[in-house]
Amino acid sequence: MEMLLYTALFSPLVGSLFAALFSTSKKTLIAGVIPSALLFLSFISSAILLTHVLNGETVQVEMMTWMATGNLYIPFGFAVDQVSVTMMMVVTIVSTVVHVYAIGYMDHDAGFNRFFAWLSAFVFSMLILVMSDNFAGLFIGWEGVGLCSWGLIGFWFHKEVATWAANEAFIMNRIADLAMLIGIFLVYWNTGTLQYTEAFAAMPYLDHSIVVMMGVFLFIGAMGKSAQFPLHTWLADAMEGPTPVSALIHAATMVTAGVYLVVRANPMYDLIPEVGIFIASLGAFVAMFAATMALVNRDMKRIIAYSTLSQLGYMFVAAGLGAYWVALFHLMAHAFFKALLFLGAGNVMHAMDDELDPFKMGGLKKSMKWTWIMMTLASVALAGIYPLAGFFSKDLILEVAFVEHHYILYTVLLLTAGLTAFYSFRLVALIFHGEERHLEHGFHPHEAYKFMLWFMAPLGVLAVIAGMVFKSPYFEMVTQLLPRTEYHIHNPVVFWIMTIGTQVFVIAAIAYAYSKYKNAKIDKKTEEGFFYQVLFNQYYIPQFYEEFFVKPYRELSSILWKQVDMKIVDASVDGIANIFYKTGVNTRGMSSGNLSTNLKWMVVGLVILLALAVVFAVIVQNGDAVISVLHDLGAI
Amino acid sequence: MMEIGLSHYLILTTILFSIGLVGVMRRKNLLMLFFATEILLNSVNIGFAAISYYIGDFTGQMFAFFIIAIAASEVAVGLGLLIVWFKRTGNIDLDSMISMKG
Amino acid sequence: MLEHILSILIFFPALAGALGFIVNKNSMRAYGVTVGAIEFALSLWLWFSYDSGVSGMQFMESVSIIPAFGITYLLGIDGISLFIIIMASFFTMIGIASLSPTKNEKNLIITLLFLQMTMIGVFAALDAIIFYVFWELSLVPMLYIIGAWGGPKRIYASVKFFLYTFTGSLVMLVGMLFMAYFYHQATGQWSFSILEWYRLILPETYQLWLFVAFFFGFAIKVPMFPFHTWLPYAHGQAPTIGSVILAAVLLKMGTYAFIRFSLPLFPDASVFFMIPIAVISIIMIIYTAMVAYAQEDIKQVVAYSSVSHMGVIVLGTFALNVEGITGSVFLMIAHGIVSGALFLLVGVIYDRRHTKLMSEFGGLAKVMPNYAIIFGMMMMASVGMPLTINFVGEFLSLLGFYQQSHMLTLLAGTAIIVGAIYMLAAYKKAFFGEITNEANRNLPDVNKRELGALIPLVIIMVWLGVYPKPVLEPINNSVESIVQLMHDKAITPAAKAAIPDVSKPKPVIQRAPAHAAAKHTSAHEGGH
Repeated sequence: MEMLLYTALFSPLVGSLFAALFSTSKKTLIAGVIPSALLFLSFISSAILLTHVLNGETVQVEMMTWMATGNLYIPFGFAVDQVSVTMMMVVTIVSTVVHVYAIGYMDHDAGFNRFFAWLSAFVFSMLILVMSDNFAGLFIGWEGVGLCSWGLIGFWFHKEVATWAANEAFIMNRIADLAMLIGIFLVYWNTGTLQYTEAFAAMPYLDHSIVVMMGVFLFIGAMGKSAQFPLHTWLADAMEGPTPVSALIHAATMVTAGVYLVVRANPMYDLIPEVGIFIASLGAFVAMFAATMALVNRDMKRIIAYSTLSQLGYMFVAAGLGAYWVALFHLMAHAFFKALLFLGAGNVMHAMDDELDPFKMGGLKKSMKWTWIMMTLASVALAGIYPLAGFFSKDLILEVAFVEHHYILYTVLLLTAGLTAFYSFRLVALIFHGEERHLEHGFHPHEAYKFMLWFMAPLGVLAVIAGMVFKSPYFEMVTQLLPRTEYHIHNPVVFWIMTIGTQVFVIAAIAYAYSKYKNAKIDKKTEEGFFYQVLFNQYYIPQFYEEFFVKPYRELSSILWKQVDMKIVDASVDGIANIFYKTGVNTRGMSSGNLSTNLKWMVVGLVILLALAVVFAVIVQNGDAVISVLHDLGAI
Repeated sequence: MMEIGLSHYLILTTILFSIGLVGVMRRKNLLMLFFATEILLNSVNIGFAAISYYIGDFTGQMFAFFIIAIAASEVAVGLGLLIVWFKRTGNIDLDSMISMKG
Repeated sequence: MLEHILSILIFFPALAGALGFIVNKNSMRAYGVTVGAIEFALSLWLWFSYDSGVSGMQFMESVSIIPAFGITYLLGIDGISLFIIIMASFFTMIGIASLSPTKNEKNLIITLLFLQMTMIGVFAALDAIIFYVFWELSLVPMLYIIGAWGGPKRIYASVKFFLYTFTGSLVMLVGMLFMAYFYHQATGQWSFSILEWYRLILPETYQLWLFVAFFFGFAIKVPMFPFHTWLPYAHGQAPTIGSVILAAVLLKMGTYAFIRFSLPLFPDASVFFMIPIAVISIIMIIYTAMVAYAQEDIKQVVAYSSVSHMGVIVLGTFALNVEGITGSVFLMIAHGIVSGALFLLVGVIYDRRHTKLMSEFGGLAKVMPNYAIIFGMMMMASVGMPLTINFVGEFLSLLGFYQQSHMLTLLAGTAIIVGAIYMLAAYKKAFFGEITNEANRNLPDVNKRELGALIPLVIIMVWLGVYPKPVLEPINNSVESIVQLMHDKAITPAAKAAIPDVSKPKPVIQRAPAHAAAKHTSAHEGGH
């Protein structure tokens, strides 16, 4: 068992280090194959662990001490339980697929070896994040995935936009990480430990307000990683990275870390339902907010990124309302179909020489049949049509909101479901249907390598069956750890109206998207409209940040250096030094070499000394009085 | 007839000392500077002798002799240097002796 | 030999340096490296024979010098000074080994060996006068290094460095003399031994005045805002080796002295000044990080980043609890390793292009991939990535201070944000993008000599980040005794409350019935 755990955890690290050995040399296929094989090994180990967990056996190991000082004791401890094994499966499946896919995708890239070093390092960090049994280990993984995300977004470092986006992602995550760190400090000073089990066990005895603080700070940390408003802008910009990265990091795994954190900390969030409501409301807001931005965007990858953001919002609604297992379930299903969607988009990009504007594509289903099928499947799953994965996971969240009597949240989510269907099929229609507009632009699309398609297939299968097949066994397993709440609408009439109503609504949205965008007619009037512009410019939030945070910071830094540090702080030091220097310069006339002048100054000195002697004599005579005055001043 | 007491001597000393001090400060001729120095020294001598007499301790008078001896040797050395300087430059004006600038 | 190991460690390099005058010019480098290696081996032996279970002073030596005033040649180390001494000898060794060809190499190496004597002397001294002597002596070789091998404004920079720190030290000296005087008043005996002073409990007003006097000396050395402006000049003008030693070891004298003198001698004053000093630290962290962001010269970025990190160290020190002080001592080591490495890295590029302006570079990751990797790793360590050496120190320092103030820790925690901003921006400017400057197109990557210095640093950086225990444990034990001493000595109720009592058993926290713990099927205890 332990061996399996270590195999699952460390084989990606070995793969990463192996690829790193070749990082500065020319492309070698082996640098891609070995890490992929090791990831597959990690997947197998996770799968075996899963069977153990299904039998109710969980594993917890303590590898070694990390930090120990004072009362603080932090080990490298890892646990495989129902929640972490779910995450492990998701991470290893998607990353294995993405690794193999990337062997084909990065085929002609000069940084092939480097890419796999980063990618496997990411998987390792992600596994640490989900497998750690304490907050400190979580934080290691948390920062580790941030680092790898930085390296992979800025993978094509010669591109200014890519490196800029990488730095933006890193810094924005750091802002949230600070809150996370504070949350960890709060946990430590109030419970005396960072181990999950012990800390959560102590929490019911704490002051309610302290638990609220913990919950809020940890959630702010989660907001950064999961790109929730207002820290969401980095995710869309992160699409500058290679597409496999977007599939793995910015859709399936890293961005869901925030959801994982809330699920993991469920004993704490159960104590503070008011924070839960806040999480759910923010989630619903982000779901809607991101979906609206996806409606009008003209960048294929950004559309999918906004969709990811929107789905993360859904997960937070579920987690905030206490339906942790539902959140985790949607996380899993979403990982499969969203990764598939991104990989499909990667195929399209390759075919179109990295063109991202879907309005320049069209009719690609002829030349890219398999990609078309898989992306359509993924979109259907995302839209939540029966019997694909999205139906079981996403519609469940709607039910949760309804059952918990949060009708506003329910309405928002329902509307968002329509929007989701609309933008997904807008994209599909623009890319694959209609006339072959790309011919005008001189593109010659071709289907991706066979093995890439074959390795996408498992994701396709999972996107289809994950909901139907896995739901009940998953529920049985994960609720051994998470609150076992079932969400059923007891009135069958209401249930059927809702289910069928939602399906009809979504299908109508799909149909509308098809009819509107099949021919890719650009409606000039709408485009110039106010709402379109607002949405297209992402509510002007990036501009707002640039104008009100980035620029002032840059200018203030410059002022602090050139005006404050140089002209005030340093100048005052030099000023003091100059006083002495100037005194010297000005008084050097005293020793002009003229004996007469010297004698005059001698007399001045004599007078001063005599005067001092007199003062001293006076002090000595009235000594006691002077001492008492000094004493009153506190000098003695 | 007024009795001449210690205070008279001390007043004399002070007056002489002041004259010497002004001389030291104002005179530009090296020779005159020596004279002023002599006045300073001798004003102190008078003070020593007078105080020594009034408190009946001869240390002061002894000291005065020392000062006279030192003043004599100082003048001897000083005048020697002065003559050498005069031979070399042709004047003994203080303002022209500024080779030791700080 | 072991009972005199500290004296050997101090005077061996000086003796070897003096002998260096008669060594042939061409074999000087080999000689210097050998001396450095022997010294480093000795310091490792010191670590090996150090008993980490003991919290007090070890390897003590005592020779009375001026009995009338109780001035004694008193040496000894504990877990706090041990690792800084090892680091000092380590950096001297790799500093000499990685020296790029320069004029007057022989003199430079001799100077470095003298500098090593003073550095180790400062950290081994337990007598205030001996401490002071080494403290001041350390200025001389550094003055010479900056003044003789520095950049165009080297004279200004070196004089500023010398006079500025010297002024502060004089105030500190006055404080030391008063301290000895008070000791004399209280006990009737003269003593400059720090250990004797530890036993003295001073009234609070005395403590406040003396604290301020010592503070001036230490704060200028650290350097704390607003006394930091000598540092950018010194770093900007110093040759690579000078910057490395300055950042890695000399700055640590200030923070080390806080722990050695200020805290245990003046516990009440430390509590009294905790918040003001924390505020200064936060200004250091945020303000200098912003200034670093505005820099155009990559060496200045690293120089200002040093000030910013020193802010975290000071903050951790004034957490006044075991976690915080242990963290700050560890961060001293960490910052030494990382900033030393960063200055070495800047030196690499300076040797090639003779400029440090970031606008001259760009796209270096393409032409110098290995260099970019090592720089990237060190940058990430500087930013405080977990599993690198810096994180352990930074985490513990902030964690410690969190007990004292929540708001201030939140502000200080912005270190991890602002630190990322200037470092990533600098890295992006120098390494990313297209190669715009033709002069950069054919730069050679790091050579063997440079790798020889950098690889060990990378290894230490990762090793102590993943497994800090061998270093953390001795530090922790010594810090615990200091905190206990402070708690026992404190006279005001505020200080008693702020400084935790280590001897008391851990606070018992109410726990729910252990149903959650029952679920593990296997538990594996112990480490490797």
